Amino acid sequence: MKFLIALSFLYLFTLVSTALQAQPWQFVSPIPVTEAAKEGVFHHLESAGRRNIAVSGHTVAVAWEDDRDGTPRVYLSRKLANAAVFDQGILISGKGEAYEPGLISLGDGYFAIAWEEDGRVYARIAGPDNPGPVYQVSDKLSTQVSMTLMHGRLLLVLREQPQRFGRIVLYELKVNDRLKLSPVNNCAVDPAPPDDDQLYPVISVLNDRIVVAWEDRRHGHTIIMANQSQPDKVCAFEPPTRISEKPPQDRTVIYGTGHGVARVALANYGQQGLYAVWADKRNFQEGYDIYGAEKQGGQAFGANVRVQDDFGGNYRQWHSTVAGRPDGRLAAAWTDERDGNMDIWYSWLEDGEWSEDLPLPGASGPGVQYHPSITMDESGNLHAVWIERETVGGPSRIFYLFGAPE
Amino acid sequence: MFRYSFIVALLLPFSALADAPEGYPFQAFDKAMKQANAEAKLMFVYFGRYGCGYCDKTNKEAFSDPLVRQEYIKNYILAYVDSESGNRLRLPTGERITERELGTRYNAFVTPVFSFMSPDGTIVFQMIGVQSKEDLMNANNEVQKALKKAGAS
Repeated sequence: MKFLIALSFLYLFTLVSTALQAQPWQFVSPIPVTEAAKEGVFHHLESAGRRNIAVSGHTVAVAWEDDRDGTPRVYLSRKLANAAVFDQGILISGKGEAYEPGLISLGDGYFAIAWEEDGRVYARIAGPDNPGPVYQVSDKLSTQVSMTLMHGRLLLVLREQPQRFGRIVLYELKVNDRLKLSPVNNCAVDPAPPDDDQLYPVISVLNDRIVVAWEDRRHGHTIIMANQSQPDKVCAFEPPTRISEKPPQDRTVIYGTGHGVARVALANYGQQGLYAVWADKRNFQEGYDIYGAEKQGGQAFGANVRVQDDFGGNYRQWHSTVAGRPDGRLAAAWTDERDGNMDIWYSWLEDGEWSEDLPLPGASGPGVQYHPSITMDESGNLHAVWIERETVGGPSRIFYLFGAPE
Repeated sequence: MFRYSFIVALLLPFSALADAPEGYPFQAFDKAMKQANAEAKLMFVYFGRYGCGYCDKTNKEAFSDPLVRQEYIKNYILAYVDSESGNRLRLPTGERITERELGTRYNAFVTPVFSFMSPDGTIVFQMIGVQSKEDLMNANNEVQKALKKAGAS
């Protein structure tokens, strides 16, 4: 009993001390991205790699899916950085059922959006005025798309399933007249024919090499794998390597072929760094934890690190998202149940180690706050969006939070 | 609605990779819920994941039993949820949710979880972890006894 009381005091002390500790960002009050929650309308922020927010020039954009007219469709809403409210948003997808939009900045107020619609992946560019035409990226059964830019070309990775197993395929597209897309090249990220499923890819570019990470089931359970291209080559990939490590204990009966991992996200940081975060069930009794691994330059991803702090160890965390800057800033956020309900918590890299976790201001407290997506702009400002609901299963709304560097 | 069904049909191969036991008519949670409502029967929901060791053990050592199979097929509408998958479901409220999110909503982080549910999705009895055929038969007997008692009162 004494031990429990002491532990409680320690926890309270840590909460107080971490609340007082210097945070890298000063946050303002969150603002809504979408209209007030309506019965029967449900929003989703669930792109591969959790890239639903981006900053381009002075414009912040958010892409999501909701079913306000009875059909799941993809919408984009924007605001100027100094504006107090988001615009009403525009419909991005077509007449079909659309899901899982991903978003990136093309600079100067332009954004690329890609999504799945009726089982195929599409993309289009939204400029400061009207969006460009819709471009069908894949004519095969495809989903779970993520994007990046390299030398002005748009690179998309997606899960394509022409046969039994899904595999990760990269598409290189050219941007014409700022708003039009045309094909250049495409190839499987792992050239070997898949002998099990590949899912939820995410892509980045590091020192002229394309890096793709994804969920892979080739070992009979889900692991995180990654692959990198040869420098400056789009479709010349090295053999893939495993990122998520096998726990040291031999607990075959418990884990089966292996423990569960899910939904990797990537962010560049520093001059040479790339960080991967994902939900990891190696400590399976507490559900998922957030784990990560870093990659420097052309080297392989390093040892796995638990991103969340010790106090989060006994609670469930998932929906991990990560953002970084060339100056070395790196932050991760996730859904966390340590306070008894779903909140957004975050942590940042400090002298090479993850800081104590803190609840994201305005994204915690009563009700449900989950499915975060974060990004950082060129000034190091942190931008976050998430889904908020009063009750589990109730109608939803999307909120946005801005944090300026201290 | 037809379009949605079409997409679900397209995504069926995704769910074929999940670890439901062989020889049972397990179906997607939302379809099972509809059927359970239509037939006023309880659902038996199996939350598993790809590569889950205790799921495999339960499949091989308990669900392989002919009596277990007979009782569970007779008494329940069977649903399998791959608690890591992005397979999409549509709940009666209209909410679209992935199997993974459904798993978190029902606290199915440690797999397998076996839940007896009313047609509206309320859990009436739950078993967590590996189960023997005796465990499954005992659970079935208890649930059926409770149903009879509730029907008699």
